[in-house]
Amino acid sequence: MSDRILALATTETKLVLRNKTVAVSSVVLPVTLGIFWIFSFSSGDERPWGTIVALQLAVVLAMSVYVTATQTVVARRHHRVLKRLRTSGISDTGLLVATMAPGVAIGLIQLLIFTVINAIVGAPLPTDPLPLVLALLGGLALSVTAALATSVVTPSPERAQITTLPLTFVLLGGAIALSIVPLEGWWQALVAVPGASIGQLSLFAFAGGTWSDGLGGLPAVAALLIWPVVFGTLAHRRFRWDPRN
Amino acid sequence: MTQTSEQAVPITTGRPSDDPLAIEVRDLHVRYGDFEAVRGIDLDVRRGEIFALLGTNGAGKTTILEVLEGFGRRSGGTVSVLGFDPATHRSLLIELMGIQLQDGGFIDELTVLETLQLWQRLIDRPDRPERLLERFELGGRRDVHVGKLSGGEKRRLDLALAVWGSPQLVILDEPTTGLDPESRRRTWDAIQELQEAGRTVVLTTHYLEEAEALANRVAIMHEGRVAVAGTLAEIVATQPASFSATLPAEVTQLPALPGLTRTESGVRVRTDDLQRDLTAFLSWAADRRVRLSDLRAAPASLADIYYAVRTEQTKEVQR
Repeated sequence: MSDRILALATTETKLVLRNKTVAVSSVVLPVTLGIFWIFSFSSGDERPWGTIVALQLAVVLAMSVYVTATQTVVARRHHRVLKRLRTSGISDTGLLVATMAPGVAIGLIQLLIFTVINAIVGAPLPTDPLPLVLALLGGLALSVTAALATSVVTPSPERAQITTLPLTFVLLGGAIALSIVPLEGWWQALVAVPGASIGQLSLFAFAGGTWSDGLGGLPAVAALLIWPVVFGTLAHRRFRWDPRN
Repeated sequence: MTQTSEQAVPITTGRPSDDPLAIEVRDLHVRYGDFEAVRGIDLDVRRGEIFALLGTNGAGKTTILEVLEGFGRRSGGTVSVLGFDPATHRSLLIELMGIQLQDGGFIDELTVLETLQLWQRLIDRPDRPERLLERFELGGRRDVHVGKLSGGEKRRLDLALAVWGSPQLVILDEPTTGLDPESRRRTWDAIQELQEAGRTVVLTTHYLEEAEALANRVAIMHEGRVAVAGTLAEIVATQPASFSATLPAEVTQLPALPGLTRTESGVRVRTDDLQRDLTAFLSWAADRRVRLSDLRAAPASLADIYYAVRTEQTKEVQR
């Protein structure tokens, strides 16, 4: 079973790399933005690494994983590739995993590149890596389930450029809001926004105190768990394999 | 995304069963909202036969195929394919079935060879890309991107994927639509080869001559129902035969035969008893020394049946 997923995932990744437009939009743009943020927060003596990593994580999850996965799933469905591949021996779950694998793989490679660049520029190791790991895993789960849910309302590959915009803005906006809005009082509700919860966990990773002060990072963890469940449930109920149905 | 439960199954997969029926459908209904695409269909497909589903666009042919393949949901009725219910045992059946879609489904950026190689890694039935490239005359196009193939070449590649590893059951949705006569003939040969190898083939088609050339049994569908089904001989027997002749211009009195109509140059007779009425007609001509020219007698053709089905059901709807 895993051989089949690997075979299809490898093919899909090759195709993404062959397509120059997709390669630019899903690789070059996020990397450029990620590096831009490192140098745009250089006014003080020390860079706010929690915020920088939050933004890097958000841009990778939104633009590389979520957008690429949505575009690939919608395009494959539109051209009936999903329908044909279901007539092979691969399972439905395996088919979706393999179809979205290139976006996830590209996202992880970008994060690796950011980690190396951040280290070269002088980023410290996170005080508590666990929230960062949770942000990454929760963010990946959020991105792929959101991609499947978005495909439900996306009839064609062209429309994916529009239907992915709201959540992309929410993910990026939520992460950016952290550097502008003090997370106190009612503003704490902002943590329910997917990007903000990823960002807050990133801040906790560098500042510490995830599990100590009051609720700490629990609301952010809860938000990260809830969104994939919401998107996953929607996708499970409404996902279409065939553009005609 | 629908999960299916895989339970203990009644037959050993990959081996011929004693059951003479490859497919058994009883009272199948498929409904999309308020629209009922399939309205209570019964179908039997025997092992080793070529079965053709005929019908106009929207008759429900593809919907039935999707139910047989396990991709379409039925609203009612029972379906057994190679001994399994496709709604609950699709992943098992996929190993025994080859499926050709009506159109599309290729990754255009892959070459023909890459497409076959990908299939090789996704499917359990053993086969070789080289064999299929040769069999379907795609060897010269092996390194061409699928998106650049002609319509006929794509259909051949489609068929190659469907027959990969010689599955027990092959389902073909309009396998020759858009093909030139030569390509169509080659596709027919490939389908007949499958039957010679003991495989069961279910196909849909718009082409009556295709059903006549290939199918052991035929079902003609109209508006979600099977109007008539059986062997060609059985189906043809449901409609009157006919004979016609050209008469000399001076003949004005015609024989009193039921089903006789006057044509521009003679007569045409539709009859349920060809021998009786033709004998009576010939006796009438002999008694009156009427010279008959261009005398023709024939049973009903599949085309006659097909158009009769459409006309009769249209009349029913109008009533």
